[in-house]
Amino acid sequence: MAALILEISTRGLHRYQQINEEITTVGRALDNDIILSDPTVAPHHLKIIRHGDDSLEIVNLTDVNPTRVDHQKLASLVTRDLPVCLEIGRIEARILPRNFAVAATRPLAGRDRRGHLFGHASWSVALVLACLLVSGLDFYLGSYTSFKWGDLFKIVLRETVLTIGAFVLVLAVLERLLVNRWEIRQLVTSVCLVYLCHYLAANAADGLDYLFSASWPTTLFQFGWYLVVIPAAIALYLVNISHLKPGRSAILALLISSPIAVPAIMQSPALYALLDDFSSTARYHNNLSPFNLHLGQTVTIDRFIAQAQNLEAGEFAD
Amino acid sequence: MLFRFLLAGLLLAGSYAAQAAALDSKKIYQLNEDRVFQVRVLNRETGKKSSIGSGFIVGDGSRIATNYHVIGQVILEPDVFYISYIGKDGEEGELKMLGLDVAHDLALLGADKRIGEPIRMSELPPRGAPIFAMGNPLDLGLTIAVGTNGGILNQTDDSRILFSGSLNPGMSGGPTFNDRGEVIGINVATARNDISFIVPSRFLMELIERSADGAFDADADLKLEVARQVLAYENSYIEQLLRNEWPDLDLRKFRLPGAVSPTVRCWDNSAKLSASARYRRFQIRCTNKNHVYLDEDNNFVGKLIYEYFWLESDELNAFQFYKLYENLNKDQIETKMDRDIVSNFNCATWFVEVSSQELKSNLCRREYVEYQGMSDVLFTAALTGHSDKGFFITLIMTGVDYEATLPLIRKFLEHSEWRP
Repeated sequence: MAALILEISTRGLHRYQQINEEITTVGRALDNDIILSDPTVAPHHLKIIRHGDDSLEIVNLTDVNPTRVDHQKLASLVTRDLPVCLEIGRIEARILPRNFAVAATRPLAGRDRRGHLFGHASWSVALVLACLLVSGLDFYLGSYTSFKWGDLFKIVLRETVLTIGAFVLVLAVLERLLVNRWEIRQLVTSVCLVYLCHYLAANAADGLDYLFSASWPTTLFQFGWYLVVIPAAIALYLVNISHLKPGRSAILALLISSPIAVPAIMQSPALYALLDDFSSTARYHNNLSPFNLHLGQTVTIDRFIAQAQNLEAGEFAD
Repeated sequence: MLFRFLLAGLLLAGSYAAQAAALDSKKIYQLNEDRVFQVRVLNRETGKKSSIGSGFIVGDGSRIATNYHVIGQVILEPDVFYISYIGKDGEEGELKMLGLDVAHDLALLGADKRIGEPIRMSELPPRGAPIFAMGNPLDLGLTIAVGTNGGILNQTDDSRILFSGSLNPGMSGGPTFNDRGEVIGINVATARNDISFIVPSRFLMELIERSADGAFDADADLKLEVARQVLAYENSYIEQLLRNEWPDLDLRKFRLPGAVSPTVRCWDNSAKLSASARYRRFQIRCTNKNHVYLDEDNNFVGKLIYEYFWLESDELNAFQFYKLYENLNKDQIETKMDRDIVSNFNCATWFVEVSSQELKSNLCRREYVEYQGMSDVLFTAALTGHSDKGFFITLIMTGVDYEATLPLIRKFLEHSEWRP
């Protein structure tokens, strides 16, 4: 009879035990052939018996957290069909044939490829410098009084380095918990890319607001950024860098992004307008642009007054 | 000789008569203490006072004049409150409304019987003459305050007399006497420190005359009547503004309308900048003073505010300049109001050519829930197309007919001239 493998899954990681003997016992006690240290596993949880006719018998040995096969409680089961999915306490396991096909090898993100964004530490450094540059530029554009280098360093250190550092730290800890690895370089690269994209997209949305004399570009950006772009970026990271499955990555991405998205969206005037149908503030397009690019036609005073006569009354809130 | 003797005798008699006619505060108080009442708004359920003011007998002896703001609560909630009077001796009775003059803050009330002798009314005495205000301050009992006539205030469309004396809450609606014991006005407001305001008696006389036909329906929805009166007053005010010759006011490259009416005052409102600021900003704010009391929730309407803002810099680049310019271009109507009082704003944007310059203009309006046809209007217009110069106008009007404000906005824009 061909050898079998017991695949034991813990926190997304798998370990494998060969089942070579005719009878293999599984449990928490140290006299078992396969020892599982989880407290939900009984000292003697189950035994796996290999018969001469290539059939396999699984026998439950415990009344507390009894063994389940394909989500069904069982006393014993004889089968020839592999793989067999088991629940041993809260541990998930599968009995696989030795020739069970494994997934294709995933390439390491950009390892040994200097052109790949995640491939080399120099990219991380370059992106961190780009973030500092953007942050410094933003500070410079907002310096209406004489420029002070000391203030620049303070703001760049406080707002940019701390922001990027905090996100990298939190995500690194999460990654360590999820896949038992540290991938700091890839995280720095990812967080910096998101930071830069946010700056560019926010400015682009502002420019589009002016172009269309409308507020939908900024509204779209605010909702799209936090509800779509950030979760998608995290999910892509988890699939491609952490090598998690797409479904699991999507759920994790939503969970990870929600602490960022919820406060940001709650502070957005657009959401406020959706949740509360009344505002005592006049929401008019006060944005101005040095480029002065707009699709709205420039009208005479007469035409403006004629069109203003058609301005409808404000809507009463409920 | 005989003629001179007679003339001297006549002069002496005239002088004596004049001295005899001049009453002091004690005498005026004694003559009128039975004719000045406390006017109270009472809750129908509890029978307790919700607000108090003063009033006095006019007309045929069954009518009491007071301020509109004293009894305004009854108009908002007629099912909850009613009006009553109480005299010096505790005599009391219910009053019903016979007429309103919201613009001048007056109300005419009627008792179901004659309650005393009406007080005679008269025109304003000369500036500086002593005048006497009677009323019930802070529910402490009837009193009289002595002061002098400061004359008609031209900054309030002639509807207020400056009284250099002390008015206190509860005295609103009480009479102000000349030294012959005739009513020359009605107590209405105070700015503290012996600066108080009186409504001239001629507006009350007009109200009594208007109400004589008995056409006023106190059981109808009086909010409609209030809105009608406010809008008529504001429309007339705007028409007067449009008829006026507007003086010029220069602000850097723009020649603009100055104080468009004697009711408007313009002040420099430029913020003090730090020495390290790399830009200059100048701000002029013009406001009117003849506001109209509407009700407890809305307080005053009829505000006209216009503000000019100029920004320039030789040191900031275009991106820095516009970041600052945009941050400053966010004027709002300052009063915060609830959904029960006003609608949301509806705004629209235009790029308008004004004196060869392009202004990004926003016009917003919101309506009053309870007062049909009344709107608040916010107009802003910001100069575009210059990398080192910024300018915007903000024009705010409250409690007005939206359509009536458009000619005023037009005149503002047409009167604005770019001077390169």
